[in-house]
Order: sequence, then C-alpha cells, then structure tokens
Amino acid sequence: MSVQTPDVVVARDVGMSYPTASGRFMALDRVSLTVGDGKFVSIVGPSGCGKSTLLQIIGGLAAATSGEILIDGVRIAAPHPDKIGIVFQEPLLLPWKSALENVEFPLALRGEPREARTARARDLLALVGLTDFADSLPYQLSGGMRQRVAIARGLVRKPRLLLMDEPFAALDEQTRTRMWGELLQIRAASRATIVFVTHSLVEAVYLADEIFVMAARPGRIIERIAVNLPRPRTIDMLGAPVLGALRNRIWNLIAEPQS
Amino acid sequence: MTRWPRRIVVTLVVVALWELLFRVGVLSPVIFGAPSLIWSAALKDGGTFLTAFRVTAGEMLIALAVAWVGGVAFGVLIGAAPLRSLIVAPILSGVIALPLIVLYPVLVAWLGIGTPSKIAYGAAAGFFPVALATVLGIRTIDARYAEMARAIGATPLQIVTQVKVRLALPAIVSGLRVGTSLVIISVIQSEMLSATEGVGFWISYHRALFNTGHVYLGIILVLVLAVVANAVLTALERRLGGARVLAQAVG
Amino acid sequence: MSAITSWRVRGGQLAVVLVLAALWELASRSGAVDPDVLPPLTKVAGIVWRLLHDGDFLADLRITAFECLVAFALVVPLGLLAGFVLGESQTLDRTLGGTLQLMMSVPKSVFLPVFVLMFGIGIAQKVIFAIVLAFFIVVPTGIAAVHSVPRGLVTAARAFGATRTQIYGRVYLPAMAPLIVGGVRLGLIFVVHGVVFAEMYGSTGGIGRSIVTWGEGFQMDYLLAAVMLVLVATVTLNETIQAVETHIRARRGAAS
Repeated sequence: MSVQTPDVVVARDVGMSYPTASGRFMALDRVSLTVGDGKFVSIVGPSGCGKSTLLQIIGGLAAATSGEILIDGVRIAAPHPDKIGIVFQEPLLLPWKSALENVEFPLALRGEPREARTARARDLLALVGLTDFADSLPYQLSGGMRQRVAIARGLVRKPRLLLMDEPFAALDEQTRTRMWGELLQIRAASRATIVFVTHSLVEAVYLADEIFVMAARPGRIIERIAVNLPRPRTIDMLGAPVLGALRNRIWNLIAEPQS
Repeated sequence: MTRWPRRIVVTLVVVALWELLFRVGVLSPVIFGAPSLIWSAALKDGGTFLTAFRVTAGEMLIALAVAWVGGVAFGVLIGAAPLRSLIVAPILSGVIALPLIVLYPVLVAWLGIGTPSKIAYGAAAGFFPVALATVLGIRTIDARYAEMARAIGATPLQIVTQVKVRLALPAIVSGLRVGTSLVIISVIQSEMLSATEGVGFWISYHRALFNTGHVYLGIILVLVLAVVANAVLTALERRLGGARVLAQAVG
Repeated sequence: MSAITSWRVRGGQLAVVLVLAALWELASRSGAVDPDVLPPLTKVAGIVWRLLHDGDFLADLRITAFECLVAFALVVPLGLLAGFVLGESQTLDRTLGGTLQLMMSVPKSVFLPVFVLMFGIGIAQKVIFAIVLAFFIVVPTGIAAVHSVPRGLVTAARAFGATRTQIYGRVYLPAMAPLIVGGVRLGLIFVVHGVVFAEMYGSTGGIGRSIVTWGEGFQMDYLLAAVMLVLVATVTLNETIQAVETHIRARRGAAS
C-alpha cells in the first residue's frame, strides 16, 4: 500500500551526548528516521543503544543536543500531550485513582468538564476491554490490566502518535503474548501511529510494519527492515518461518561486533 | 473489642485501690493525691479548669495550624529540588534533636507571658518534624510518576500538588503526628514555666499551694487531651487511606 | 552521590548557617530589631566567652552535666534491657505493650510537679524526671533492636551449636548495634530535654535555672549566650553520636 500520506514522525540527525568523567559520551549519533501515518514501527537494539533515549527525545521528555524531531511538521522540544501519548515500562497509574479516573486524568489536568471527560475515558476503557473495571483501583488489577489502563490513558487525548517504551517488559510471557493481541486490536480500532521500543526481537517483528535496528556505542540506526507479515497478525504467525528468519536477521545484525 | 471493657475494669480497680490506700493512710495525700481529692477539686474549681482547658486547646490548635501548613508548604518547596532537600533535611533533623525549650524564655521576653508566646513556641516546635517528614516524603517518591505526569501535560504546579504531595501523603501524615505531639508537649511545658492561664499554668499554681487534688485534676485533663488528639489523628490517618492503597500498589 | 555533590551539600549547609548568623547580626546592628531585645551575635558571642570563664556559670554547667550523666547512665541500660525483655517476650509485650504505648503518647512533662511534690526542688526530682522522660523512648528502641535481628542468623548460630552467651554476644549484639547506638542517642537527647526543663521549672541551680533568671531579668545578652551554648553543645553531641551510628551501619553493611 504505497499511498503518499504525510509522515507523522521525522527525526533528522538527532544526536544526544553528555559530559562524563572521561569526556563526552555519545548516547545517540545522527539518528534519522521517519514514521508514516498509521504505521507501527519498532525500535530494537541491545542494552545501551539509546533506544529509550531516542523515544524520550521523540516524546519531548528529553532534549537532543543536536538535530531535530518533527511531529506532524512541528518541532518538538517539550512534551506535547495533544499530539503524543506515552506508555512507559511501568503503568505508573496513580494508586488512589480508579481506572476511569486514571484514564481521564490528562483531560482533568486540562480542566475539561466532567461529563465530557468521563464519557471519553469510558470509550477508551471499552477500547482496551476494561469496561467492567472502570471503578477498580490499580492494586485490584493485574499487571496486564494496569498496562491496558496506561494505554487507554495514552490514547485519551487522541494523539497522532503513541510512544511505547518496553511496555510489556515487566509482564510474564503468557500475559505478554495476550497483550500483543490486545495492542494490535487497539491499534486497528484507533488507527494510531505507534513507535514501540523493545528488547525482544520476536515482539518487534510480530507487532511492527517496520523495524529500526540500533547498535550501541555510539547509539545509531544500522538497519531498517520492512516486516512482510500480513495483517491482521495471528498467533500462529509466531511460529511462521518468515518471522523466525526476520528475527535471526536482526539477531545477526545486533550480535555482530560493530566497527 | 473486648479490650475496652477490660481496660475500664482495670482502671476502676486502680482508682478504687488508690482511694483505699489514701484513706488507710498508706499513701501521702500531698504526693499521691486521691480520687476523692480530685473530685472535690473538680467540684470547687471545675469551671476554672474548663476555661483553662479551652485556652490551652485554643493555643494548641492555632500552633498546630501554623506548624502543619507552614511545615508542609516549606517541605514541598524544599523537597522539590534534590540539592535543596539534601542540604536542608539534616538541618531540620538536627534542630528536632535540640532542647528547644531553652528558647522559650527568649520568646517570653519578646512576646510576653500570655498566649502569643505559647503559640509561637508550640508552632516552632511542631514545624520542624512536619517540614522534615514532608521533605523526605517528597524526595523519596518514585521520580517516574513526575515524568509520567509531565508526559500527559501536567504543569509543574499540577505535578507538585496533584501527584507529588498525594504520593508523599503517608510520610507527611506521619510527620503531622510527630508535629502534633510536639505541639502538645511544647504548649504544656510553656504554660508550666510562665503563663497566666491554661491548664499547665494551673497545675503549677496548685502545686505551689500543695493542692494535690487540683494538680492531679489538671494532669488528668492533659492526659485526656493527649489521648483524644491521638485518636483523632489515627482516624485521620485511616480516612486518608492512602497508606494502605499506596503500599499495595507501589510496594 | 559523587564527591562534588557531597561538598556542595556541606557547603550549602554552611551557607545556611552563615546567612542566618549574618541576618541576626545585621538586624540587630542596623536597629531593624531593637538591640535590647536581640543583641548582636558578636556581642552574644563575647558573653559566651565570658561565661565560659565565669565560676558561677561553670558551677551551673557542672550541675547540669552531672544530672544529665546520672540520668543517662541509669536510663540507657535500664531502658535497653527493658526493651530487650519486652522484645523477646510475646506475653509481656501483650500485657504491657498497651501501657507502653499510652505512656509514649502522653506529654510526660505534666508529671514533673508530682516529682517536685515528692522530692522538692533538689537534684533528685530532675534526674528522676529525665529518666522517666527518656525511658519511654529508649524502651521502644530496645524492642526494635531485638526485632531487627534476622531470625535466620539466630537459627543458623544454634544449628552450629553456639551457646546462649555466644548467640547473645556474637549474633544479637552486632546485629543490634546500630539501633542500640540510635537508642543511646535518643536517650541522651531526651535526658538533656528532661534535665533542662526540670531546671527551668523548679530548681536551685543548673543552666536551666540561670536561663530562666536571665529571661525574667530581661538580660537578653546573657540569656541568648546561655541558649546558644546549650544548643551548640547538644548539636555537637548529637552529630557525634550520629556519626558513630552511621559508621557502625556502614561497617555492618560491608560485612554482611
């Protein structure tokens, strides 16, 4: 499907370095990428390759020392909660608020009227399949459910872009696999553009349309891989040779000693 | 719930024994008083004591309000910055260890022997533990919550008031407890030293006259005040409920 | 925390103290505050120096120090021992625990008049009051110290055939060391509180008495000098013991 839609994310020569005891450390070195509208993009790489840093810069939570990020053509230097939703590794739900109150929190912060924001929050809880748990407190929910609430919160302001920083890393394998299916459903229903950072190669391949493979020291993108698995993705695809081949290809890229 | 009836019975037995020992002449009335002496003191000067109780309670409440509000506000301002809190927290904890009572005569010289010096002293004593607990509470909350709040568009003020303070609430409340107990102790002590009214003053007054019944009446009033304050605080802690919910979610 | 930051913290604390001292001096010297009500810091410091060479004051200091020492020497072992016993015994904790809590949550200063009725205004009432005050702080520390010993350590020691004394000496004591030092520090603080307050309330000598006298006589310079001395002395004691406490904690951490 090669329709010319505007790129949601454009990163140009993004660099991030900071001073350390032994000189400047290059966390990111001239990283450039684009993410098309409605695409699911994975960023994968070994520890220390700067993938989380890159995500933080895209989200406006950290500042690049060089280069620029454009979201829908707008330069990003601070959080833009109207354009960008973020889901972290920990759900970070406010423990004294119910699931509903957590989802509507971004709207409450803006002073939106109660009825409107509650309705919107309910819509999103329905989207993530948690309608019956609207009034539950986080401690009453399982890890996977909490993360779903976090995803709902990330989408509540109808952002163009959803950034996800290893959101399923803290979950056990079964829950994780189930969450993949959930996320893909949510994505299909909301048509959000997603940038997804992960350690897991299988997760990266299974979920994404495109994968950016990063290497460390300095952090940089070494390869862009298109995932030619059909949508909708199904569980049996996890055993498909195509997926395995892609995974191995990425593995070799990462495992190779980089010059 | 079977604790309370047992406690009442024990208390009644103690009171009866006390009176008995007094009547028999074993316990010196001057030193140990007696329930009957306390009773006659209450009948005679109950009104004065109740007025004094109101005065003392009033001083404590005002001092509490200043200590709580001032302490939390100060703690929030300091706790927000890592370097500031590292500098200030040890100073606060150092001050708490001091016998601040030595400062009371200074306050009397400045503010006189009446209510203002008691309030000032009580507020000063209560301020430090509240401030310290708030600083530590704000400092030790998970920084990622603030980052998340920033990501969803909270202003710095909203991050502090709606996220940080709420997360630090269990720690702050425990600081409020310590602060309250210090305010109570401080106001009583200051009234005992130099005052013109209040329960502490009357206890000292009657001690000098060897009116032991009155002395013990005053002591009982203070104990009642302390127990009631403690119960109110415990109820407050429980109502805020935050501690349990937080502990289960974050821990 | 890098070395740079720790210097900055210390520097910051020093700066706070210096700024407050400067404000005091300036407020008084400039007349913004009535210098009769708040004499300049430098003048008060001069009086401090004079007091430290004054026979009467030193005699007062000795009385206060003596009272603190006696109370401290009695309350710390008594309180810690009581704490250990209560910590070890479930039954005792159940029966006496409630009373302990009650005594802890109540302002014990109200009982001082009773001690004065009993013993007059001599040294005994002050020492006894200080002991009572500190006792209910040291006991919970003792209980906490006992509870802090990891059960696993004791079981392991027994499994290796350690005698009772060996268990107490080699397992309990080192494990409880930091909390015991903490209890010692709290005991000292409350002893000083108790002695000073009792001296201010009803006494014939001691620093507290002098402070009250100077206050009543509106001799602000002497009053502030004595107050400063007491506060600085207490801070020094507190910080020293706290340093010991930290040191023990660090060594224990390294060993375990």
